[in-house]
Amino acid sequence: MKNNSKNLLLLLVLLVFSFNVNAQRKKNKANKDTKVWRYDVECEGIAKQGAKLVKVWSYSKNPKHAISSAMKNAVHGMIFKGYAGGGRGCTSFQPLVKDAASESKFKTFFDAFFADGGEYMKYVSSATDGSIAPGDRLKISKREYKIGVIVNVMSDQLRKRLETEGIIKSLSSGF
Amino acid sequence: MKNIVQSIFMLCLLLIGSVGFSQAKKPTLMVVPSDVLCNQNGWMKTYNNQGNIVKVPDYKRAFQESTYLLLTISKINELMAERGFPLKNMESALKTLESNAAENAMRSSKETGAAVNESPIDQLKAIAKADIILQLTLTLNKTGPKKSVTFNLQGLDSYTDKQIASASGTGAPSFSAEIPVLLEEAVLAHMDNFTGSLQNHFDDMFENGREVIVRIQKWDDWDGDLESEYEDEELGTIIEDWMADNSVKGRFSTTDMTENMALFEQVRIPLFNEKGRAIDARRFVKKLSKFLKNSPYEIPNKLVMKGLGRATIILGGK
Repeated sequence: MKNNSKNLLLLLVLLVFSFNVNAQRKKNKANKDTKVWRYDVECEGIAKQGAKLVKVWSYSKNPKHAISSAMKNAVHGMIFKGYAGGGRGCTSFQPLVKDAASESKFKTFFDAFFADGGEYMKYVSSATDGSIAPGDRLKISKREYKIGVIVNVMSDQLRKRLETEGIIKSLSSGF
Repeated sequence: MKNIVQSIFMLCLLLIGSVGFSQAKKPTLMVVPSDVLCNQNGWMKTYNNQGNIVKVPDYKRAFQESTYLLLTISKINELMAERGFPLKNMESALKTLESNAAENAMRSSKETGAAVNESPIDQLKAIAKADIILQLTLTLNKTGPKKSVTFNLQGLDSYTDKQIASASGTGAPSFSAEIPVLLEEAVLAHMDNFTGSLQNHFDDMFENGREVIVRIQKWDDWDGDLESEYEDEELGTIIEDWMADNSVKGRFSTTDMTENMALFEQVRIPLFNEKGRAIDARRFVKKLSKFLKNSPYEIPNKLVMKGLGRATIILGGK
């Protein structure tokens, strides 16, 4: 009886451990896909004041990873890439950080900012409750998906945060 | 010895403080409806100028008649204030000018009954002005039931006449949206690009100095001119050399030079003087004025300014 309960406990511990390892592995995989910042951002319309409504196309072997990294990619896109204008009254948007060297110059800040559950989460929200339109789930090769997620990025707050950190200058700085 | 070291240290701290915390002179910005917008909406005044019928914008009428204009300007003001750059409101500026003129006309000295002295030039200068004019043009487009708004905002430097920032485009056509909603959308869609280009202009200004215009003229009763020679050099060339020595990286263009006048454009002046104080075109040209007053030239002169970016020296007297 005692041996049985011991075995059961061991089994449980192993089970929990394997779940943990699996979750960690999935997270690492999503991070690996995001690490190279391979994504496209396009304007999805005029959002409320101080925000931008964008569709982020993320690439991954696993559609779930692409969805989970969409928010991170959206914030990264607003900071470093910007987007072109287009239909729906959209105008082009210049990236908040214009100096390409800033990402490496402020590496410590951005590493912490874009860490899992990092501060970037404060500046982005899903615009469609996480649902993906059928046309936004594309299989682009045998082993790769391109997933489009519509998100709302609080661009004004994000800009102010970067200004406080001294990464970008405010319009009135120096006056 | 210890006291001297302490004094030097304090002096250094003061110097660093004055330079480090100096703020450049902040330009004023104001949204002004463009001539074409006023003309299309009939907000114009006409008068006969020696046989020529001249049309000029009637801004007061524009602000009294158009709620769309007010809404658009108010939205632009709101967004610029959020970026730490509150704008001058043209409608209020016009009202202030009117009340100031009325007060000046009524005011008289308690002791002598004298009126406030105002030259014709003072009267000419009493207009609503700003260092950077945000010229606004709006067009409401209608194709059948579809409506859209074309928005054009130009940032114009009042002194150099250069366009330093802009944002323009046509919004998405809509069957159902009201015009005020389309106008608000247009402002929201374009203001980031506008402030982006304005930021580029300010960055350039901090790096290469403020761009100003300097004009040299002479009174007609002065017996000298810009071709008068001092130590084998013409006065015009002496002034040109002074410009090269005192502008940032020697950057300026001599646009015109005759015996009576000289015009220097694209003159890049430093934002701060050697004491770390913010300067504008007038403070910069004041140095030239002193230079010409002193030996060996000893030319009396008058310095006239126009805002942050334009200054004129009139040679031959005050």
